[in-house]
Amino acid sequence: MSVERPTLGQVTHIVGDRLQGRISNHHLALLGVSFVGFFLILPIIFLIPESLNLGSSTPFESYRRAMDSIYVDAFVRSFIFGLATTAVTLSLAYLLAYYLTFAARRVRIVMTLIIVPLWIAYVIRYFGILLFLSPAGPFANLTGIDPGLLFTSPAVILGLANVYLPFAVLPLYNSLNAINKELIDASRVLGADKWWTIIKIIFPLSLPGLVAAGLIVFILAAGSFLGPAVLGGPQQAMIANVIAKAFLENFNIQFASALAIIYTILLVGFLIAFNTVFDIQEVLGDI
Amino acid sequence: MLEVEGFTKYYGDLCAVDDLSFRIEAGEFVTLLGPSGCGKSTTLHAIAGLVEPTEGRTRLRGDDVTDLPPEKRNIGMAFQSTALFPHMTVRENIAYGLRMHGYSKADIEGRVDDSLALVDMPEHSEHKPGELSGGQQQRVSLARALAYEPDILLLDEPLTGLDRVLQEEMRSWLRRIQLEVGVTTLYVTHDQEDALSMSDRVVVLRDGRAEQIGSPELIYESPESPFVAEFVGKSTQFTGKVAEADGGVVVHSDNKKITLPDSAPSPGTDVTAYVRPEDVRVSIDPTRSTNEFPGTVLNISNLGNRAEMTIELTDGKTVLAHTGRFPNFAVGDNVYIQFDIDRVIVL
Repeated sequence: MSVERPTLGQVTHIVGDRLQGRISNHHLALLGVSFVGFFLILPIIFLIPESLNLGSSTPFESYRRAMDSIYVDAFVRSFIFGLATTAVTLSLAYLLAYYLTFAARRVRIVMTLIIVPLWIAYVIRYFGILLFLSPAGPFANLTGIDPGLLFTSPAVILGLANVYLPFAVLPLYNSLNAINKELIDASRVLGADKWWTIIKIIFPLSLPGLVAAGLIVFILAAGSFLGPAVLGGPQQAMIANVIAKAFLENFNIQFASALAIIYTILLVGFLIAFNTVFDIQEVLGDI
Repeated sequence: MLEVEGFTKYYGDLCAVDDLSFRIEAGEFVTLLGPSGCGKSTTLHAIAGLVEPTEGRTRLRGDDVTDLPPEKRNIGMAFQSTALFPHMTVRENIAYGLRMHGYSKADIEGRVDDSLALVDMPEHSEHKPGELSGGQQQRVSLARALAYEPDILLLDEPLTGLDRVLQEEMRSWLRRIQLEVGVTTLYVTHDQEDALSMSDRVVVLRDGRAEQIGSPELIYESPESPFVAEFVGKSTQFTGKVAEADGGVVVHSDNKKITLPDSAPSPGTDVTAYVRPEDVRVSIDPTRSTNEFPGTVLNISNLGNRAEMTIELTDGKTVLAHTGRFPNFAVGDNVYIQFDIDRVIVL
């Protein structure tokens, strides 16, 4: 007498039959939600008691120290650099995405050229820019001019914009490409010239992509660590650099946690304010 | 009103429109009819200035507009996709064209209301296009195109994509509006029923060339080429050589002798004789008239108001016949078909 061993296919069927009707989309969503909960939200919550350090003789000390001007400057700088990077990146990305959508003959090649840099480690790309801008670098060699940008704020913003450009091009290209080309024809026939059509039809219809791209770039840029570390000097230290220094160099976990909590609260507050002012739902819902 | 002269458009090596010329008089409703890829849409877009013709001129009200951008041509256009701006209300959509044409704020309000009344949609002015049905969107699209009194109205398959009942309703509605406003109209479609039901004249296009230009009646009753005969309306085709016989000219097709009208070409010519299904009579008993052939009923499709029968003649040739509704025949019946000599189209 032989015992039949079920094959993999049979096992799959048996498991499938058992699960039939018991798994809903909510269960699947739970997987994603719990991943984010366990590995993002929970660790941040654990930072709160750490930062308060209630058991010690000087609780809240870290928060008091975070109000020192050098740390406040770092917070402000993060937001300013984030906004500046977003402005520069969106302008460049919009031009690129517009070109890709309406003018490029070989969209795939241009798209590949935009995406390939994402495969290269950030640190290598920042060092590339560092070398390029340095007084002994290829730019200075070729032109005989020292750009004098290295370790300045413009260098950091240029570097960040360069690195985050693909993240902005993709959503912008998607929303521009989704515009029915007959709308543009209709606008022209109705008497609008090319520029008026861009202002009144193309731009408003690309707003969802612009908002998405802006949020992605701002969040990435404001929290960036490598860009200011490689391309900036002490005057360009952003909040991530300060947190890293407190944690890795001074081993002051309480203080690093306090900075991280403050930054998280500021960022979430900023997003809520942004949402109230621009009403993302409204912008996205219309289209 | 509109003259198109020697239009030619190449896409790379592909010739989409080939030396096409036609003119439209003021107030006329003309349809460009043809299968997909015949160049009808390219021609329409070239008239609008959205496509640059490789060669040829466009004249509107006597002025050469070939080199003008679309916004300087004073043209109204409705698109198959309706092309209503999704981020604007119905009112804003219609006001857009008026504003671009330099109307004052006060005029715009009144004209928007007038054009919405024209298309029977006054209560929808504050809706977004996405909240309207397909037919309503087409009405708004027409209102938007007509609001600033364009010299010519261009319609790019506006009824394609609507369901059949709505399509038929919209046809007579559209024609009524066109007559009421009196706007010169150029309509593009692949649907022969659109073309025949609405137009003053039809331009049948094939591979970028005009096969025939004429009234719907002329196009249907007297097609000038086999393409027009086969593309517009249904028909049964008999191919053969013209020969002389007692009582007139005949064509020998398979084993039949079909008597042709006097206008038929001289003996020896290869021709095709076309017979429309509505000209074919079906009977159980022979009537012993000319052009009568025995056959067997192969299929009956009841279409409600009429029936379409497929009859296989004894030599294997199948013939289409339209009869009154729910005819007293059954599949397999032995019948006779007959058609009059002067209803035979010879090409």
